[in-house]
Amino acid sequence: MRPDPGPDTSVAIPEPGAAVLPAYVLRVPTGPYRALNPLTKFVIAIASAVVAFGVRGWTGPLSILVVTAAIALIAGVSRSLRRFVLATIPIVASILLVNAFLYPGATDVLFRVGPFAATGTGVTVALQAVLRVIAFALSVAVFSLTTATDDFLADLERRGTGRRLTFVIGSAIRTIPTMGSRAIEIVEAQRARGLDTEGSIRRRLRGIVPLAGPMVFGSLGEVEERTIALEARAFSAPVRRTAMRALPDSSTQRALRWVVGLGSLVLVAVSVAGRFPLP
Amino acid sequence: MSVATGTLRLSGATYRYAGARHDALTGVDLELAAGSVLGVVGPNEAGKSTLCLVAAGLAPVVVGGRLTGSVTIDGRETVGMRPHELAQRCGILFQDPQAQLSGTASTVFEELAFGPCNLGLPLGDVIDRVEASLATLGIAALADRDPARLSGGQAQLVALAAILALRPDFLVLDEPTSQLDPQGTRLVGEALRDLARESRTAILVVEHKTSLLDQLADRVVVIDHGRIVRAGPSAEVLGDPALVELGVEPPPRVRVRAALAGAGLRTPDEADQLLAEPAR
Amino acid sequence: MIAIEVRRVGFTYPGGVRALDGVDLSVGPGETLGIIGQNGSGKSTLVRHLDGLLRPTEGQILLDGSVVGRRHVAELAGLVGIAFQDPNRQIFAGRVRTEVAFGPRNLGLRGAELDRRVTEALDMVGLAGTDEENPYDLGYSRRKLLSIASVLAMRTPIVVLDEPTTGQDLRGVARVRSVVAAIAAEGRTVIAISHDMRFVAETFRRVVVMRAGKIVLDGTPAQVFAEANWPALAETYLEPPLAARVGARLGVGSTPTEASLVQALTGRA
Repeated sequence: MRPDPGPDTSVAIPEPGAAVLPAYVLRVPTGPYRALNPLTKFVIAIASAVVAFGVRGWTGPLSILVVTAAIALIAGVSRSLRRFVLATIPIVASILLVNAFLYPGATDVLFRVGPFAATGTGVTVALQAVLRVIAFALSVAVFSLTTATDDFLADLERRGTGRRLTFVIGSAIRTIPTMGSRAIEIVEAQRARGLDTEGSIRRRLRGIVPLAGPMVFGSLGEVEERTIALEARAFSAPVRRTAMRALPDSSTQRALRWVVGLGSLVLVAVSVAGRFPLP
Repeated sequence: MSVATGTLRLSGATYRYAGARHDALTGVDLELAAGSVLGVVGPNEAGKSTLCLVAAGLAPVVVGGRLTGSVTIDGRETVGMRPHELAQRCGILFQDPQAQLSGTASTVFEELAFGPCNLGLPLGDVIDRVEASLATLGIAALADRDPARLSGGQAQLVALAAILALRPDFLVLDEPTSQLDPQGTRLVGEALRDLARESRTAILVVEHKTSLLDQLADRVVVIDHGRIVRAGPSAEVLGDPALVELGVEPPPRVRVRAALAGAGLRTPDEADQLLAEPAR
Repeated sequence: MIAIEVRRVGFTYPGGVRALDGVDLSVGPGETLGIIGQNGSGKSTLVRHLDGLLRPTEGQILLDGSVVGRRHVAELAGLVGIAFQDPNRQIFAGRVRTEVAFGPRNLGLRGAELDRRVTEALDMVGLAGTDEENPYDLGYSRRKLLSIASVLAMRTPIVVLDEPTTGQDLRGVARVRSVVAAIAAEGRTVIAISHDMRFVAETFRRVVVMRAGKIVLDGTPAQVFAEANWPALAETYLEPPLAARVGARLGVGSTPTEASLVQALTGRA
């Protein structure tokens, strides 16, 4: 019985009534800030971080805090920012304590707590440092809350980053939860053979090889399997990958990126040269 | 579902992995024609997985190593093809569902689109192929789910659908149900049965579960130490209790009959239906 | 040789998933027990309670009459050895011998006694003579047997095998069966989790079926796979072995294995 030859599927022929991507794939970003091109948002985040740390004095970090808060409001992510702020508490607390009480060479004592003296200089430095850390954390937070990783990577790929690199970054990000569950399985298997993870430090250190070994070798083994599986899905086809979501860019945004990027560098240069006019 | 064409043929295929001391496959002759299902059984380390890689052309093209003899699809040697060309002619499915997902898709839809997007197909085509694959395997309800959070059986179906989205004429499956629980095995088994019946895609499936092959395969080959030691219609090959000597577990219906025969008992008529060859 | 008692054990994962719900189970010393059920039924969660990897949210686990409580896993590992499903998530050594020695070494063994244990364990799983090989040079089947050997070498009174026959060929399954028999012959307790109905029916004297965190059936293979229980099995998408179905069709009682079917029919003839 001779089989039916069927349609030639080697040439992409647009079929009638071609469908539309479902909403959960399209994931159209809502709001003026989210709708910006990922690279624009990325440049803004980097520039904010640079200014927050690079410009001496109060103005740098304070202005970034104001800008970031404004962006958060526009993008509607202000409530989610709370999580990130909470995450900075340990660092903030240690910065405050160390600098306020232990700033070397400061003599302008403000108040005493037991044997420790808080100096004015120390407190000033501490507060500024805290502001920088929070400003940095918030600009990173706003970026990650308003930009889907997929979109960012797809945009990079479109700009010519290359399939493999974007794939590696993307899968590394996604692999983190899987690595977690793999690690748990390994720990359980070794503990079930008597590896002590609850005893003394020395006993716990002995666990490094039995825990790290399978992690590494298992991951390497999976790399080989995954490489084969990827090739079987035409990963290395020498053509431009179809982009499922259009990420609009414009000359306005491009100009904005240049202005913001260069502007931040100029501000830092001026500050470093000691000519920054504001406190 | 598009109708497939052509024949996948191995002639005197001998393959050795890079740096290996022995051949993994020796003189394998095999033919897989459109619309047929070929089962492959054999003890572990007999070369079943290697056979899958060689049949799909991934060995030597992706994996390296040395192939003598020929592996052809419609007369064209697979060694001369590039990986992405092979991917469109012959799809392959492995045991571990999660290891073969791309790991970069947030939804099943995007996972299925991964292959067609890699080929740079127009968006309309990509969508059509994804929807066709979802429909063929009956998993449209999973389209918006996170692939990393599926059960083993569901993940395996998604991986299979992802391969079908490339519209291969041939499908090679290396122990597709080995890591699945009984429900997952049933899910995948039924999907394969429907696929074989409706799409006329040629399927080569390696399995330890001979009961599955009993229902699925037209022909079965037994492979041992890299060579094909038995080949024939599935009922004949699987129906032989001597399969045990070759390191393969016959399907339950064969074992039960053999146990009764071994004790000198006649198989009662009432049991015939349970012990009959399955309708294929 | 020690007994296990699971008393009204419930377990809820931190994320809120209720994995065990009111589980009662008593396993006497030297029993062989097969646990079956779909993924997510609580089988793996239950056995992880036996060596303290998980601690019950409600209820108690008793080993040899004393509550497990908060005793360290490293200590309990000397009583309950668990060989998990994926050998690749356990094997770390470059030599088979080193891998097998890991467990007993953790229990404090050294020198000649340690060597003896390792050799015995390798013999038991049919890997004698592979001492100097790299575990990753062994095929998957043999690597699985290696992971079992590394637990056998600990000579624990209770041995738990998680899916020992997955991915195994005929000889591998036969080997696992003989390992279970050998351990049981020494009076030690063996518990196995498996998807393979036939393996469980033929290898274990007792079968427990789990569903949604509860034990739904508990008895000998003949009892569990009897026709009266088929609806309960169907509810959890499990099928009794073919021998059982044939025996029921022929009206010769519950015959979960080919041997029992033959015996029943010979008796009838």
